[in-house]
Amino acid sequence: MNPELLRNLWLEASPIRLALIAGLVLLVFAAASAVPPQWGSAESAAQVLYWFFVVLWGTRNAALSVVAEIRERTWDGQKLSSIGPVQMMWGKLLGSTAANWFGGLLCLPPMVAPVLAGQGPRAALLYAGMMLALGLFAQAAALLSSLMLVRRNTGNWRLDTFLCQVAGIAAAFSYFTLWRSLDAFQTSGAETLVWWGQVFNLRAFHLVSLMVFLTWALIGCWRMMRAELRFANGPFVWLAYLAFLCVYEAGFAPWLVHRLHLDAAPLFDTILRLVMAVFTLTATTYSMVFLEPKDPVRMRWLGEQLRAEHLRRAFLALDAWMLSYGAALAASLVLVALLMARGSPLVLPAAALPGFLTRDVAIFVLVRGVAQGKGDLAALAILGALYVLVPLILRGAGLEALLALFLPRLGAPPLTVIAAWAQGLVMAWLALRSIRPGIREKLKAA
Amino acid sequence: MIVLRDLVFDYPGHRALHGVSLRVEPRTITALVGPNGAGKTTLLRCMAALETPYAGSVTIDGLDTREAPRAIHARLGYLPDFFGLYDVLSVRRCLHYAARAHGIGSAQAAGAAEAAAARVGLADRMEQAAGALSRGLRQRLAIAQAIVHQPAVLLLDEPAAGLDPRARRDLSRLLLELRADGMTLVVSSHILAELEDYSSRMIIVDQGRIAGGQAITVRDAAAARLRLSLAAPHDGLADFLARQPGVTVIAADAAGALLTLRGDAPERAALLAALVGAGFAVSAFAEDARALEDVYFAQVTSGERKP
Repeated sequence: MNPELLRNLWLEASPIRLALIAGLVLLVFAAASAVPPQWGSAESAAQVLYWFFVVLWGTRNAALSVVAEIRERTWDGQKLSSIGPVQMMWGKLLGSTAANWFGGLLCLPPMVAPVLAGQGPRAALLYAGMMLALGLFAQAAALLSSLMLVRRNTGNWRLDTFLCQVAGIAAAFSYFTLWRSLDAFQTSGAETLVWWGQVFNLRAFHLVSLMVFLTWALIGCWRMMRAELRFANGPFVWLAYLAFLCVYEAGFAPWLVHRLHLDAAPLFDTILRLVMAVFTLTATTYSMVFLEPKDPVRMRWLGEQLRAEHLRRAFLALDAWMLSYGAALAASLVLVALLMARGSPLVLPAAALPGFLTRDVAIFVLVRGVAQGKGDLAALAILGALYVLVPLILRGAGLEALLALFLPRLGAPPLTVIAAWAQGLVMAWLALRSIRPGIREKLKAA
Repeated sequence: MIVLRDLVFDYPGHRALHGVSLRVEPRTITALVGPNGAGKTTLLRCMAALETPYAGSVTIDGLDTREAPRAIHARLGYLPDFFGLYDVLSVRRCLHYAARAHGIGSAQAAGAAEAAAARVGLADRMEQAAGALSRGLRQRLAIAQAIVHQPAVLLLDEPAAGLDPRARRDLSRLLLELRADGMTLVVSSHILAELEDYSSRMIIVDQGRIAGGQAITVRDAAAARLRLSLAAPHDGLADFLARQPGVTVIAADAAGALLTLRGDAPERAALLAALVGAGFAVSAFAEDARALEDVYFAQVTSGERKP
């Protein structure tokens, strides 16, 4: 047996704990059967307990599976072990949540039984599969978040665990809400969905999407675990994920065109897909530049590799935010070229967007460099000021026309492109200066 | 066996190691000493392939920590200064897990756990929970976990910290036994007096550098370490001593010297006679128990004087 799973079972799934969980579940079911039907049923009680065991408590245990090792100073020992990243990931994901799954699996039959009775075995199987995948997705999201926070080394394990738990719960809840909303779609007669020109059953598409995103979450956990265990990751899996995101979302473009009654000309279809890709890549860049450590030492090392023309070594060591930024820039470039060819007025905001993105990314790097490895919240506050306070002030002062100098806007004058890139380049220059050694001391001296 | 070349390690905001180079020979016990914050722990973590250096390299058995960290992990055991144990698990389960985690098959893991426990004197406490052990016994369990897979290299960060005198003596014995079994040990410590019990070489780390630029021989069975004091200072003492057969001068000035002398009582008597014959007013000439401390403070102090 996987030694990490075995150790977690020793710690988390003691006979006493399992007996207590079983006793609690039986008591709740007995109580639910005894009360009047309008107060609740065994099915609703099972649902509440499943969410409690698998999602609420399970995400906490999944997040703690690494955070607690660091807190208890056992993580170094694990990193030095021969346990591979796949074993370590499954050992932690399933082992730390073993008791939760025990409770969850006890709740599953009462949840599925009404679906089986009302809609048949296929629907019951789909529902059970969805609930299991949902639980695993929530826990994988929590573990992935905790592995990302571990790299940031915040030192606040309680807050870290809570945030990871929230991430896991949010992942599960958003998916479940979407699943429940399908009933409304189906009631209105919309039982199918068009994706890349193909017609899919709504519920099946939804379940397959969950499985695909669950797979990506597990791949993410595996890669983060590899990094923790000192394996070199390389950029290709992240680039594949970015490509998947763009392709997945672009598949909905015809549906969007249809729903929004847009121009369905082929070129416009392509542009719409590119716009979606640019937005996706931009959003990913913002997420990753906030979440990743942006270690000035590592960035300095990357700079030295580039100066020494060790391009392959530098490329293989690029962080996810750098790759996302590069992909966003490349997609923006293609979009601008297509818009120019079409003579579209959208070319100006499209050209300004990567300039503003450059500025914002550089703000994160700059603040992190000056604060020597901290300061992401300060960077977030600066961006908050740029995107919320400045517009409020300019609008209040009747200078709304100047807004295009600070953020991308439709119908902006050509100056917006110059302003965006001027800010982007200046901030990038400052950010590069900030990762030099001893910058903090120099600033203090100044 | 362990070779460090121009090792540089940066934390955001400061450089912890400044181009450290050293070589640790196989089957030796090398002590890393130095003030708090000198870079000892960072150095050990770089050796353990837990940290990636900014520049330079660490190789163990020819394997580079940057290129093959996992292969290096399989070859070494590491005990951090602040270690943790799975307090709820019994000693047997802790060691069984450590064995399995280091790639020992399930059929052999129980035997490996028993052997490691016996080695550190925990064989009679196998069913006791790790959390119920005393500080000294926890230390032993942590060492047992680090050696359960019989690594070629063992890195110990402050293993004697917080131990009572008896536990320290037991630790010294254990380290010597492990070396005798063929392990290469690097031990970071604050307690200079104990280093002589088990270590053969001492490396003083100060402000991220190796003080004096090289390792210092702590103890040599064939060469006694002697302290020589003069009643009247003599500038030619160091040169005179350097010319004498079997003598290695560790430190010397006009008032005295610290040296090693290869040989036994007759050689010692001959050296004393030569000194007196050459006109040196010898006031003391004896084996030195505080030599390590003197060398340490001489190196660290000279480091502090440097800009």
